[in-house]
Formats: sequence, C-alpha cells, structure tokens
Amino acid sequence: MAQHTAVPKLSFQYWLDKAVEWGQTTTLESQQDVCLQLPKLQEFLQQIYESLKHMNSTTALQRFPLIGQLLGRLCWNPFVVGYDESQKTLMWCLCYLYSNEPQNPVELKANSWILSLLCHLLSSSEWGANKVGTGTFISALGYTSADYYSKLVKNIVLSLVTELKGNQFNGLNVQGRVSDDRVNVVSLFCVPLITLPDVTPLLEALLTYHGGGSQEVLSSEFLEAVNETFLKKKIALSESAILSLWLRHLPSLEKATLHLFARLISTQTSSLEEVACIIKESLLPQAACHPPIFRIVDEIFKNALMETGGTPEVMTIIQVFTQCFIQAHQKDNKQHKFPLKAYFPHQQQHLVIALLKHPFDLPATLWSQHLKYITDMLKAIIEDKSIRSYTDLFESWFLFVHFGEWADIAVEQLLKSEDESSDTLLWLLAFYYNPHSDKEQRTQILVEARAVYDRLMMLFSCTTLSITDLQAAASTKTDKRQPCTKHLVRHLLISFLLFSSGGHKIAQEFISHVILASNTTNEVFGLLIRTAYRFNQLGIKNERIVKLVNELLQELRFMD
Amino acid sequence: METLLWQVEQLAGLLAVSRSGQVRDWDPPTLDRALQWGRYFQHLHGRFRAHPRLRAALGQRLRRGQQGPPLGFGHLGRCPELLGLALLGNRALPPAACHRLLRSLLLPPSDQATPGPCSLSLLARRRAAAQLLLPPSPAQARPEELEQEQSLRTEAQLLLSRLQEDEEEEQGPAGVLEDLPRPRVYWVLAALLLEQAGDNAGREGASWAEHREGPRPAAAVLSWLLGDPGRLSVFCRLLPGSLLVALSARYPQLGTPYLHLLTSWGSRLRYDPLSGQWASSRCPSEDELSWEELRERFSCFMRGPAPLREAALASLKNLKIQDGDFEVCGLSVWTDLLLEMDAPL
Repeated sequence: MAQHTAVPKLSFQYWLDKAVEWGQTTTLESQQDVCLQLPKLQEFLQQIYESLKHMNSTTALQRFPLIGQLLGRLCWNPFVVGYDESQKTLMWCLCYLYSNEPQNPVELKANSWILSLLCHLLSSSEWGANKVGTGTFISALGYTSADYYSKLVKNIVLSLVTELKGNQFNGLNVQGRVSDDRVNVVSLFCVPLITLPDVTPLLEALLTYHGGGSQEVLSSEFLEAVNETFLKKKIALSESAILSLWLRHLPSLEKATLHLFARLISTQTSSLEEVACIIKESLLPQAACHPPIFRIVDEIFKNALMETGGTPEVMTIIQVFTQCFIQAHQKDNKQHKFPLKAYFPHQQQHLVIALLKHPFDLPATLWSQHLKYITDMLKAIIEDKSIRSYTDLFESWFLFVHFGEWADIAVEQLLKSEDESSDTLLWLLAFYYNPHSDKEQRTQILVEARAVYDRLMMLFSCTTLSITDLQAAASTKTDKRQPCTKHLVRHLLISFLLFSSGGHKIAQEFISHVILASNTTNEVFGLLIRTAYRFNQLGIKNERIVKLVNELLQELRFMD
Repeated sequence: METLLWQVEQLAGLLAVSRSGQVRDWDPPTLDRALQWGRYFQHLHGRFRAHPRLRAALGQRLRRGQQGPPLGFGHLGRCPELLGLALLGNRALPPAACHRLLRSLLLPPSDQATPGPCSLSLLARRRAAAQLLLPPSPAQARPEELEQEQSLRTEAQLLLSRLQEDEEEEQGPAGVLEDLPRPRVYWVLAALLLEQAGDNAGREGASWAEHREGPRPAAAVLSWLLGDPGRLSVFCRLLPGSLLVALSARYPQLGTPYLHLLTSWGSRLRYDPLSGQWASSRCPSEDELSWEELRERFSCFMRGPAPLREAALASLKNLKIQDGDFEVCGLSVWTDLLLEMDAPL
C-alpha cells in the first residue's frame, strides 16, 4: 500500500509542464503528442487518485501543491477529458480535494474553484448562461445536459459519417468534397474517443474511407490506437473495418498476428477446437483471404517457427490456422475470389493442390495412395539437385507443415494398413520431423525409425503387453538420438497405444509411469489433442478409441 | 395511492428548492434525504412506466398548481440527474453538504451504501467529444453556424421526446410550448418540423405505426403555431425566407398563411418619391418589413418548388390587379415586386 503514495515528484512536474505546453499551442504536433501520451497520463492520474484516497484535502494540498494547476489545465483539455476513463479519475481527484470543513479563505476559494471546474466538466449551472440559450431551453423542457450531450454526439457522428460516405458516392460532387487534411484531422481527434460507443460508426466510416490520393489519409496515431484497442477487446468493430485497417496499415497487421501468436502460446488450451476458436475470433483467417495479408501472416509464422526451432506447438498452431483460413476462404462468397493455390505462388502447384485436400475430402481407403503421391512429389523436390537450395527445401517443408494433419494420417496408416508403403510413409515422417538436407542424416533417421516401427509391428497383434515390452521396442542401442528422431518415435509409440488392442490396455499405465516421469508431457498432450481434433473432424465415433484419448488427456491435465 | 400522489407532488418543490438559496441550511443528512427522494422518484418512474392510467394520474398530479414550465412523468425518471446537477451548480449549498453531494454523485459506488448515478462521467466524456468533433473545415460554413445547426437539431429531438411523452399522457403540446424561452423556441420548432418531414419522406414504406408516430407531433406543433396569429407572425418574421419556403414545401398548411402574412406586411409599405424607394410607414412596429427583405422573401418562393412558385406568382398578380394593374414602378408595391422577380407580367 505504501507504494501507492509514492508518486514521484518528477512525474508531477513532467506532466504539469506537458499540460502547460498542450494548453498553449494548438498545432497538429502538440495534438499528436497529446494523443500519444494519453495512456501514460491516465496511469499517472490513477496513481494520484490512489494517493488522494488516503488523505484529507489539507494533507493532499500539502503533498501535491501543484495539483490544482495540473487538474485545472487537464480539465480544459478535451483530449484528456475525452479519453477512456480519464474524466472519471479527474473528477474523483477533484472530489477528494474538496474540503468539507474549510478552515480559511484559501480552502474556501479552493472549494469554489473545484465546484466551478466540475460544473464546467458537466455543463451544469454556467450552461444556462450559454450564449445561445441552449441550457435554459433544455432545462425548461425538463432535460439535463446529460440528455443533451448524449443526443448531440450522436447527431455530430451521424453528420460526419454522412459527410465521409457522401464523398465516396458523389466523387464528382465538388460541393461535398471532403479534403484529405480534414479527414486526417478528424481521425486524429477521434483517438481519445475510440472506446466511446457513440463514436463507433464514425470509426467504421473512417476506416473504410478511401480518398482520391495514394497516400494514407488517416493519421497513424489513429490507426495504431484502433488496433491496440481492438486487440485488447475493448471495442467491437465490423470485419470489413478491421480488414480495411490491416490492409492500409502494415504495423497493425503485424501486431495483431504477433498478439494472436503470443496468446495461443501462453493460453492453456485443452482442445484444438478452443485454439481454432481463438484464431477465428482474431479475424485474421478471414482477413487472410486477401493474398497480401496472407503472405504477411505466413511470413510471421515462418519466422516464429524458425526462432523456436520448429517446436510441435508452433507447428500445430500453423496447421490449425491454415484450416481456419481455408474454411474462411470457402465461406467467402465474393466474386473475385482467388483460388487457393494462388496463396502459395512459389510452390509446385501439384504439390499445393495435393496438400490442400483434407483427409475428410477423401475416403479413408485412398489415404495411403494420396500420401504416396505427396511423398513422391516432395522427394522429387528434395532430391532434384538442379533446383535444390536450402531455401527451397525449407519452403517445401514449411508448406507441408501447414497441412500437418497428413503427417498424423501417415502415422495412423503405418500402424493400421498392411501394405508395403511403410517406406514411403516413414520417409514422409522423417521429413516432417527433420527437414534438414543432409542425406546421411536422413538415412540414419530412417534406419532408426524403421527399426522401432518393425519392433512395434511385431507387438501389434499381441493382446497382452507390458510397459517394458514397449520401452524395449522404442529404445535404441546407442543412447544418442537426435531430438527429431525422438519426436518421431514418440509419435509412433503414442499412436501404437491408441490403435493396437494390446496398447489400449496399457495405455493409461504407460502414460502415468513413463510419460509423466519424463518431461515430454506437453508433447504427448499436443499429440493427443491433435488426435482428438482429427477424430472430431473426420466424424470418427469409434467409442473405444475416442474414450481412450479423452481418458489419457484427462490424466495428463490432472497431472499438470 | 393517495400517499403516492402526495409524494409525487413534492417533486416540483424539491426541484425548486434545489435551485434556490434555501439549500444553505442543508446538512449532509438532509442532502442524503434529498438524493434518496430523487432515487425514489426514479424508481416510481420505472415501476409505472408501463401502466398508462397510473402514469396519467401521476402526471396530472405533477402538473397541479404549477407555474412555469410544466412537469411531466418523465421528470420522475430523470430526477436524480436533475437534482444532482442543480445542486452541483447551486453555490448556496454549504461545504459539508456539498462534500457529501460530490461523494454520492461522482465517486464509484464501492465504498458507498447506495450508488449514485454513474452516467455523469459519460456526460463529461461526451461533452469533450462534442468539442473535439464539432469544428468543421475552413471550407465549410462558419463554425458557429454548424454548431448552431447541431444544437438546434438536438434540442428539436429533445423537444420531440418531450412532446411524445406528453402525448402519452394526453397532454397537448401547448402546455410545454407556451413556457419555452422565446425566441429560441421558434428556431427549435423549425428544426423539429424539418427533421420530421425528412424522416417521413424516408419512411414511405415504413410500418403504419411508425408512420403514425411521425406526423402527429409535427401536426400538433403546426396547429399550435397556426392557432395564434401573433405567434405565427413572430415565427415567420424571425426565420429566414429560405427556411420558411423549405417548410412550406413540406407542410402546405403553412404556405398559405405565410403568403398572407407577406402580403399584409407588404401592403404597409409606402412609396417615398424623394428617395425612389419603398419604405415602411412612419410609425414602425416590430412587424415592419423592409422592401429588401420583402423582395428577398418572395425570391425564395421563386426558387422553391413549382406549386409554391405558382402560388406566390398568382398571389402577386392578383394583388397587382387589385391595386389597379399598373405597369409603371412606384405605384404599386406588387408591380414592383413582379418586376424584380423577373416574371412575365
């Protein structure tokens, strides 16, 4: 509690100087400065309020001798009064400074000054002395300034919106032409008012306004502020307004993508449906139907993937985002829709088209064949010496990551189907978990994976298994194993538990004794929620297996 | 019921006291009681809003023995704000009571027993918003004009609300309109009539109920205006010709009386041969119209829609004939006007 009273004297002087500066000049620069400082000022005012709460008015004036000057100046600045909750804090501070037992003329004067300031803020008594008699008129009607200003703001907003929209349709109407400067100024002046619900129609009109020139006509302070407020969910705007914002202001789009990403990483989600929900709420999949936006978002995800070294969580996020994007694209019924393959222009088109087919677009019997088709194309790209560069390799792998559900299908097929495509599928999985180009490395991984796979397949039809059997199957002769190989093996193991009858019985035991003992809970959890999600999408109702997945998830959650 | 009616009758007194010097004797408990009454009235409003007969009874009691602007049922609902703002602006309120008022009115309710109205911070914010959004570009009309336009429009909307509230209690518009400050009320009425006409035009396909709510207040207001010749005269004298023609276009019942007024004003002009101009008679009253203004007003008619233009022309021609059908200037004001209007004689 003591910290609250420690409002540093330096800040006070700083803000007082600022308030004086803002009051003296009304240039565009000073107005831009106000807009930028508003959040910090609000925090500062909050701190002052917290301090004042515990003092009486005399102490307050001793502690903050300049407070009268500061509050006075700020109350006359419409940017400050119009911002978010600043007006509340200002009024509360004034309330706490009012003395209920003034001891001397100074305090009496202070009281009187506080009252006149409050009356000014609330358009009370002095209103009657308004030059055009609005106050008297409204009082005679039996209304208050509260009713008046509520309607007045709506009227002003309506007239501004009409002005902005009118300009678009009567482009030739010289009389109604709004100048770019005016739009710029209006947008800047809206910055404090963004969270005021009455102003939302004006925000939408500004965001969708397109002047004649090629330069951005809206002020950047405005665009940034709207984006920030939207990301904090303090305002609800239409999809087209947000889309317009992101299309015209790249930093906002980048911030929004990073914000989504951070949120997904930090939130404890218990299912991929939840992840998909968060992604859809962000409006980014819908916005990504615009190819420039898609490219930028994709680029950001790519960087995130590289920076985190390709962790499965990030790969899952990219996979779910892509699915949400495709759904949004299919729902979008604009005439000039781009074909999906246009979003991946630098990739081999056949590969793109093949990957774009979701497992539920094909009957399960054709999955193996389709996987082989994909693998062959990928192999061709990887092993084609003429075009191979690290970038191409990475791009192909990154493309595949978008459609990671096929990797999950590959594992499933490996365990369930009996045909000889196991080589192909293992190659695909090795590629998925380790795209690095070294042929030797890949061969080594394949060898190990094949060994584990063969051992697991031998145990597949056993009805009774023990944990040690499985551990033996999965272990390696040498203790050194590449992390990527470990991912692959784990994937095989967990799928084995789900799809084999013997594995079923020991699944829970395996999870509680082996997995929880290691530090791979997150990874296994991720695998399981991906499986649950896939089952949901494919409409797999096989009760036994769905039940098992849910039980295992419960156990992991419980332990977390 | 009688208790209720008696209580409601106290509202007028409460509001009057809150604006007067009597509050200098108030201590914090008295202030609390006053604010409590305010909240109680608001509660009554909420309870009886959906009961027309009770509402009418309460409204009637409110208006009993009232001087000045009449109260309505709506006052009950707005009481906390009316009271709070009136007290805030009342310098006679002693510091202790004022201190209590500020705490109740403005501070967050967490440490209060009964919460005060929280709409006041929104009021401050909206006022700032109006300041920020109102100034227009230099290319447009003067800033005062735009502000005035928006002000009038808002006042007209509030007036309309009040008239609709009164209508629900079967009170005609006269009660309210009589006591509104002149001349502002005429400007506001004009704004109201314009807005109503605009709304109706857009509501052609609207439901019958919506259509009904539109014209009724406008018609009532118009008949109040037209009901008294003095009132109409002031109205027409005050407002600019262009505005009156716009109104006449949408409300034909206004056009004819206005034309008559113009002709009666015009017929008072006398020709002064020395200056070669038409001038008002030697003892000017407030209704006296100058030649220039008469000409300006008639030319507004000429710029208006066809029916009005025809009517004005017909009127002028008739009067010219009555005056003797002169073609020469200086003999009949109507001849001269027709010449100015560049119309075929």
